[in-house]
Amino acid sequence: MRHRLQFTIQKLIRMALLLLGVSVTAFLLMNTSPLDPLQTNLGQAALGSMSPDQIARLEEYWGVNTPAAERYLHWLGDALRGDFGLSLLYRRPVLEVIGQRLSNSLWLMASAWVLSGALGLALGVLAGTRRGRWPDRLVRGYCLVISSTPSFWLALLLLMVFSVWLKVLPVGLAVPIGADAAGVTLLQRLRHAILPALTLSVTGVANIALHTREKTADVMERDYILFARARGESAMVRRHVLRNVALPALTLQFASISEIVGGSVLVEQVFSYPGLGQAAVAAGLGSDMPLLLGITVVTAAMVFGGNLAADLLYGVIDPRIRRGAARA
Amino acid sequence: MNRTCFRFFSFLLALVLLAGCQSAPADEGPGEKKNRVTVVMPPTSEPETGFDPAFGWGAGEHVHEPLIQSTLTVTNPDLTIGYDLATGMEVSADGLTWTVTIRDDVKFTDGEPLTAADVAFTYNTVKHASSVSDFTMLEYAEAADGTTVLFHMTRPFSIWPYTMAITGIVPEHAYDSATYGSSPIGSGRYVLKQWDRGQQIILERNPDYYGEKPQIEVVNLLFMEEDAAFLAVQAGQADLAYTSAVYSDQSVNGFSLLSVQTVDNRGVNLPVTMSSPTTELPVRQAINMGIDRQGMIDHVLNGHGTPAYSVCDGLPWYNPVNEVEYDPEGAKALLDEWGWPVGPDGIRVRGTSEMTLSLTIYYIVGDSVRQGLAAELANQLRELGIGADIKGVGWDTAYDDARFNPLVWGWGAHTPMELYNIYHTDPETGTARYSPYSCEATDELLDAALACPDLEESYSLWQKAQEEIAGDVPWVWLVNVDHLYWVRDGLEVAEQKIHPHGHGWSIVNNIDQWSWT
Repeated sequence: MRHRLQFTIQKLIRMALLLLGVSVTAFLLMNTSPLDPLQTNLGQAALGSMSPDQIARLEEYWGVNTPAAERYLHWLGDALRGDFGLSLLYRRPVLEVIGQRLSNSLWLMASAWVLSGALGLALGVLAGTRRGRWPDRLVRGYCLVISSTPSFWLALLLLMVFSVWLKVLPVGLAVPIGADAAGVTLLQRLRHAILPALTLSVTGVANIALHTREKTADVMERDYILFARARGESAMVRRHVLRNVALPALTLQFASISEIVGGSVLVEQVFSYPGLGQAAVAAGLGSDMPLLLGITVVTAAMVFGGNLAADLLYGVIDPRIRRGAARA
Repeated sequence: MNRTCFRFFSFLLALVLLAGCQSAPADEGPGEKKNRVTVVMPPTSEPETGFDPAFGWGAGEHVHEPLIQSTLTVTNPDLTIGYDLATGMEVSADGLTWTVTIRDDVKFTDGEPLTAADVAFTYNTVKHASSVSDFTMLEYAEAADGTTVLFHMTRPFSIWPYTMAITGIVPEHAYDSATYGSSPIGSGRYVLKQWDRGQQIILERNPDYYGEKPQIEVVNLLFMEEDAAFLAVQAGQADLAYTSAVYSDQSVNGFSLLSVQTVDNRGVNLPVTMSSPTTELPVRQAINMGIDRQGMIDHVLNGHGTPAYSVCDGLPWYNPVNEVEYDPEGAKALLDEWGWPVGPDGIRVRGTSEMTLSLTIYYIVGDSVRQGLAAELANQLRELGIGADIKGVGWDTAYDDARFNPLVWGWGAHTPMELYNIYHTDPETGTARYSPYSCEATDELLDAALACPDLEESYSLWQKAQEEIAGDVPWVWLVNVDHLYWVRDGLEVAEQKIHPHGHGWSIVNNIDQWSWT
């Protein structure tokens, strides 16, 4: 018990440091980016019909003339008190914007995460246990093609097939065109999430499947498999392979959160899906520092939380680790 | 794979198929009902801060009519000024007081009447918020009585009616700057019914609108990337969608390509500084007459554009004196005469000094149209014997680069203020804002136009200033980029105003006049 507590506290401290580092990096990158906030948000033509006085006021609003260190420390001070500030672009509290976007993104990401994990594991084990034979070659071929395919291109391809040719799925958005928000059913929302989730999972599968395949192939070479074979055991995959592949698979599964989050940025753009990714693009391109920092911190926390969950789950799944921890 | 796994996957597959095979509900097949229309705009057109004029709704890069609110004036299809709420307006002789009378029969959609107090409140609020709208010329607004508003100005501003044309009037009794943007109350042609942020806006016809009743009852506005917009058209889920020249040679069943004339121009500045060969007037004149604008339109814009000769082609303050004949031989002769004979490698060299006549054309990285124009311009200049390279830069350095080199710019606003800012000398720096140029006669005429108490008269002053400018050629204007849209057959989009810079809301300015045939 004491060990668990110690472990958790250690992790939390690490998380705080990580978030601090991530926010500093994001801030510095944004600060050195060549984007001029007035130029990107108002546009050259809008500035062209403005008086110098007005431009000076707007520079003030976008913080063009405030020193970088001052701006960051100001943000950090407020953020530590739980105030993430107002989005410069949307003029609403950052947490409100993130909350609303996250609720759209979350189950898109969650379904893609579960789907890619399950499919990836299944395909990886399938290929690993039949190494060199046709299922292996098929899976490997698929994975290599998919991992070298840009996700936005795949998204366009899926749209072309399912929305334009077959006309069975909508071309984008999270709700039907022109539908009353109150009347939107769960099934309709599901229909709109299918293609984005499919794109995300299809690309996520490749990575997980390839890694699982390696590990499975590794396990298959072990002496205990040979021994089990010699004894004529039947449920080899379930009894020996899956159990030994479980830990690395878990690590992969939780590590893939970062890829799902990253991938959602591009995919949401293509599908006009109003998720966190779309907001991140808007904030990044629009130099909306408070919103961008907020999104960075939230997504970093999500990724970190995923890794932490994996660490904690090791003990639950593997009795050896549990016993090892208890002894320490 | 064991049985549980198998069951899980079959369940999943079934779910996907079930959801997929379900036929599209009726509300996703726009165009079947003839009283609604679905329009696709770029994601950048979604107003981040909502429909609050104080935070730039209607103003800014893509000036447009606010639709949800009424405005005092409107711009007519030829961009002269007409009236919406206003019934008359007057300017004092010193140009510092505008008196506007308004209709007394207008109600907000919550049933309250719209009065001069609401107008004054709106203008003071917009000035105070001071976001995208430039209200620095307004000191304050006040309501003299129920139907008369007085605008007290800090400086004479003859083109104030163009500002009035995009400033939607908000109700003083129901305005809260935190919530108005997402739940606006106005008196315009349409009412905001729903806003799914990041996706779509649904507008409904205002049943109590005081003007002519719009035919289109429901307007769905979607925000999509260009390729997704094209897919939406192909899938038949939109009635009108923006597109670009890249897609213009495609064809879609049931849709046709609509090309709208614009003042969305592209041009290069020719710096009038010692370190640039464009200091010499004959060089600037030669470039202006020696470039083939139609060639640029054909090569870069797939034919979808018009030649540009000024920053304000076709607007009421435009002066045709800017137009030049395409005359490459004349341009070459002019350069020969001025002492730039063609050297051995085809580039002009000045006599003994071995100084070559060459330029580097800058463009903004990532803007394919500007890059294409820069390359085409460089090609055409080389034919005149002017050495030309191109170089891509970001906005962070572009403004500085343009002080010494030609840069491809894009302009086109529905206000002469742009003309003023591009050519008028900035008292602080001693040159115009975007490119080194300063001419006293031009400044005087531009100032006179801005201070003129009569709008009609100011047009002729803006035109006179262009006579000076046309003689100096501090900028060379290349093309006006047509705005392209896919339009479902049977949808009539009525007479469009000359579109300004930007590809968003302009198309729906007159949506109340659209109809299905």
